[in-house]
Amino acid sequence: MAEIVLMRNFGRQDSHTLAGYRATGGYTAWEKAKGMEPAAITEEVKKSNLRGLGGAGFPTGMKWSFVPKTHTGPVYLVINADEGEPGTFKDRYLLERDPHALIEGMLITARAIRSAKGFVYIRGEYVQPWRIFSGAVKDAYDAGLLGNGFDIVVHRGAGAYICGEETGLLSSLEGKKGWPKIKPPFPAIKGAFGEPTVVNNVETIACVPPIINRGAEWFAGLGTKTQGGTRMYSVSGRVTKPGVYEDSCAVTLRQLIHDHAGGVSHTGKLKAVVPGGGSAAILTADEIDVAMDVDGLKAKGSMIGSAGVVVMDESVSIPEALLVLARFYAHESCGQCTPCRESTGWIYKMVHRIVDGHGRKDDLDTILDVAKRGGGTTICAFYDGAIGPYISYIEKFRGEFEALCRS
Amino acid sequence: MTATRTIVFSPDQLAEVRRLQGLYPDKRGALLPVLHMAQDAFDYVSLEVQEYVAGLFDMAPSHVHEVVTFYTLYFQQPKGRHVVAVCHNLSCYLAGSREILAHVKQRLGIGVGETTDDGRVTLQSVECLCACEAAPMMQVDDRYELNLTPEKVDRILGELR
Amino acid sequence: MPKLTIDGKEIEVEAGTNLIEAARRLGIEVPHYCYHPGLSIAGQCRLCMVDIEKTPRPSIACNTQAADGMVVHTDTERVRDTRRSIMEFHLINHPLDCPVCDQAGECWLQIYYMKHGLYDPRMTDEKVHKPKAVPLGPHVMLDAERCILCSRCVRFCDEITGTGELGIFHRGDHSEIGLFPGRDLVNNYSGNVVDICPVGALTDRDFRFQVRVWYLDAARSICTGCARGCNIDVHVNRRRPHHAEGKRVARLKPRFNADVNAWWLCDVGRYHYDFVDAPTRLTAPVRRNNAGTAEIAWDEAVSGVAEALRRYSPDQVGVLASPRMANEDLLALRRVLEARAMRQVAYDVPPPALAEGDDFLLRSDRAPNRRGAELIGLGGDTGGLMASARAGRLKCLWVFHHDLLASGWPAADVRQALDRVETLIFTGTNANAISERAQWVLPAAAWVEREGTFTNFEGRVQRFRSAVEPLGQALPEWDLLGRIVAALGGTPAGGRAELWFRELVRTVPAFAGLSYQAIGDHGQLIPGATSAGAPTPPGRRVKVHG
Repeated sequence: MAEIVLMRNFGRQDSHTLAGYRATGGYTAWEKAKGMEPAAITEEVKKSNLRGLGGAGFPTGMKWSFVPKTHTGPVYLVINADEGEPGTFKDRYLLERDPHALIEGMLITARAIRSAKGFVYIRGEYVQPWRIFSGAVKDAYDAGLLGNGFDIVVHRGAGAYICGEETGLLSSLEGKKGWPKIKPPFPAIKGAFGEPTVVNNVETIACVPPIINRGAEWFAGLGTKTQGGTRMYSVSGRVTKPGVYEDSCAVTLRQLIHDHAGGVSHTGKLKAVVPGGGSAAILTADEIDVAMDVDGLKAKGSMIGSAGVVVMDESVSIPEALLVLARFYAHESCGQCTPCRESTGWIYKMVHRIVDGHGRKDDLDTILDVAKRGGGTTICAFYDGAIGPYISYIEKFRGEFEALCRS
Repeated sequence: MTATRTIVFSPDQLAEVRRLQGLYPDKRGALLPVLHMAQDAFDYVSLEVQEYVAGLFDMAPSHVHEVVTFYTLYFQQPKGRHVVAVCHNLSCYLAGSREILAHVKQRLGIGVGETTDDGRVTLQSVECLCACEAAPMMQVDDRYELNLTPEKVDRILGELR
Repeated sequence: MPKLTIDGKEIEVEAGTNLIEAARRLGIEVPHYCYHPGLSIAGQCRLCMVDIEKTPRPSIACNTQAADGMVVHTDTERVRDTRRSIMEFHLINHPLDCPVCDQAGECWLQIYYMKHGLYDPRMTDEKVHKPKAVPLGPHVMLDAERCILCSRCVRFCDEITGTGELGIFHRGDHSEIGLFPGRDLVNNYSGNVVDICPVGALTDRDFRFQVRVWYLDAARSICTGCARGCNIDVHVNRRRPHHAEGKRVARLKPRFNADVNAWWLCDVGRYHYDFVDAPTRLTAPVRRNNAGTAEIAWDEAVSGVAEALRRYSPDQVGVLASPRMANEDLLALRRVLEARAMRQVAYDVPPPALAEGDDFLLRSDRAPNRRGAELIGLGGDTGGLMASARAGRLKCLWVFHHDLLASGWPAADVRQALDRVETLIFTGTNANAISERAQWVLPAAAWVEREGTFTNFEGRVQRFRSAVEPLGQALPEWDLLGRIVAALGGTPAGGRAELWFRELVRTVPAFAGLSYQAIGDHGQLIPGATSAGAPTPPGRRVKVHG
């Protein structure tokens, strides 16, 4: 098991306080970063192989470097704390148990991208995390850490999964519906309120202080060749010990299920695993010897996404599980682009009909065909996420669906 | 909910609206937070409240209505004194959320989207609240209630006044 | 200027041009719904996908700017397949109620489906139901089930009128366009949302169910609602006269002119055509005397009027021309005046109430050709002319179009003037209080029934064309005036409007150098005039918050 980096303070009762954070070396990375050139910070993060931990896995340092150097107006740093991917709960832990790690990471990131203002977008349902994080921000202001060249605005969402998509989040931050924005322009060029903006996930930015403190090489060495560091895996579903576990990006899915989460519960026999949140393609029991990093899961035709692992044992009905997710996508589609708006609802109706025993076998081919045709045609990745389960659940467990269908 | 209430913020609340608007490069950024405030102040975001808030932002009311109807946390109708939202997404489903929801419905005697006759509780069935490690779970007003069992649900509902 | 290749053809376009417009210039149509050149890019409908070499997936053409060396294919198998998919998605929840839909025949769902349809309907589940036949104010009807949520109408109200009445509410496949509950779509430009709606979601309450669009013919014309002269198409129903209670003019639609109205038309102008097919139309020359009122032949009317003009000395005759008359008519009238050396002419009759303009297209001057009347030299002292009539110095008064009893003048003054005039002549399209008492009534063809030109407030001369035949025996004014010129011994310019225009160009320096050919569909500025172009829409102006 790898060194614990992100959850290092979680054991302390006072981990959410400034004093508690300082007692374990908090804000020393920020002191160090103040002596570094912005470009040097970005370079260090690039070398660390830190990749976005919210879902897309984009190299973080590279994302920062897209902000135009010649821009003279404001640059915004926006933190995506709109955690909503089914099976994911790590950011909630960070906001509640180590809020200053995020604030310190934001200070350093802001210096790297020359931003004077950051927004932390917290999902509306996260009232407790919002209160704790807001308290930490107030303490950081009182201590002079904030307000001297960098300000943080804590923003509450209002209930919409799509706002976890970075440009949907920006629209929402601007006081609009959470409709994702068409790209180009990308946020680094024209983001929040029309200004260059870097949007990063909570956990991603919480990695920044340790990188600055202990160096890019150390961080890179914790992970795989193409993804540095450790990350927080949310493990839930049919396991003995559901919870959030930190380990190297090189950890395998088998290790997570068996070594961390205590193995499969209920029948004790593994049937399938969602490896990276609801939108990741499902893996069968014999596909779990896979490295839980961006490239490892891509090679298996799935994705690490937000690293939300949902385990299903033999007694789970895969069609019913798909019905749960199909309802989710139909409910959360923002309605902006036609393929997603129209087919998430249609596919939900078809899956519903199948589970209710009124399905036809050609429904399965229709779902697969519709999902594949819609893939890659929309403004944002929501629909590409939705087709992950539509296609993989049916293709990998077709017999179970057919058993429910009339001929 | 028969008493009609004047839809106007107090001077302190208005000062807070201005402060929030000042936090964003364009004051419209404060729309979601101000709608949260309005819901706290007026119970729910009626059409009258939407028009009032639109006025505070120099916006067309239609665009406030777009926002109110897009997000799930704004109530357009009177709601109960408490809102109980049972998660029905994947991990909670795997942990028995259907049975929990059925139990809640039976205990409250209402369906999803309904409010008890005494105005005590509004029931919702919602998507992932991201506390899957403690499934099944539900949100009761501001609190997450975790690792639910029918007995625990009875205790929690019993404490709602 | 980037040079790119589209379907094997090279083209150079201005920087910033998107691929839909670049392709359009090559005559290649990239199907699309949400894109509209007058509105911001939304990228929602996903239909305008094209293949760009070195790009892994098809891209939307609306949000892709032409780049140097770009190689674009609009008709690959992959693009065709993507279009079929997108069309299927657009129709999943569409009611497919074409037989009862007013948009049928000009619906872009139908048009694109014919070419890009999947022709394999797989959707067998219950569709999402939404409000139908919802009035959105005085002019527009909404059917939310037919809506494909392209957001053009929403963007129009945000970006053009700046009034923001419309929104898209809810989300997912329950998304629907609408107004804030209890409010109406009542801006001056509401009819435009019908024009830009690509499907049958927004229809015109005035036009709905009147006549199927495939029975319509169109003619290029100019709006007569105000002095701007917005470019329009006049849609007329000649083939199904039993439909729409015999109304020939079915609707007016804006026609693009970057320098005048861009893509838009105000509601005042759009619905300003009812008089054309109204029962009050004058359809035959009329003589009214002690023996009674009789419809007469044109020859008799022309010689009668000419004889009346000869009977009086020139200073006993007054003429009230109209700024609603075309340039050609005004010149012909001037020739009549010259034939008898009459000098008491004017056109400015005060309206009963001053009309209001707005901050976009609509001008307070509601006449289409005041500038023309002024340049052709028919301006005079209207008040003085009426005072002469009241004082009994005028024996003959010839009124074009005006209803003096519904003008800004006190009715008593007008009555006094009319009472003292011996011979009252009226020329116009519709009966009014003046025609009712005139000794001679000469029926004029409405602007949609003839050719001609108007000069707009900026000095832009624009052509309008004939869409239908004149009603009854009505004649274009240049024609009936030309006959009177001849009866008075002069030589009319000719039997076509264009010949009168040529004479105008030859004899009135303000119009020097112009020609029908050069005016074309775009209009031509008179010498010395400058144009500010179509105004910036209110919704695009920088808003200053207090």
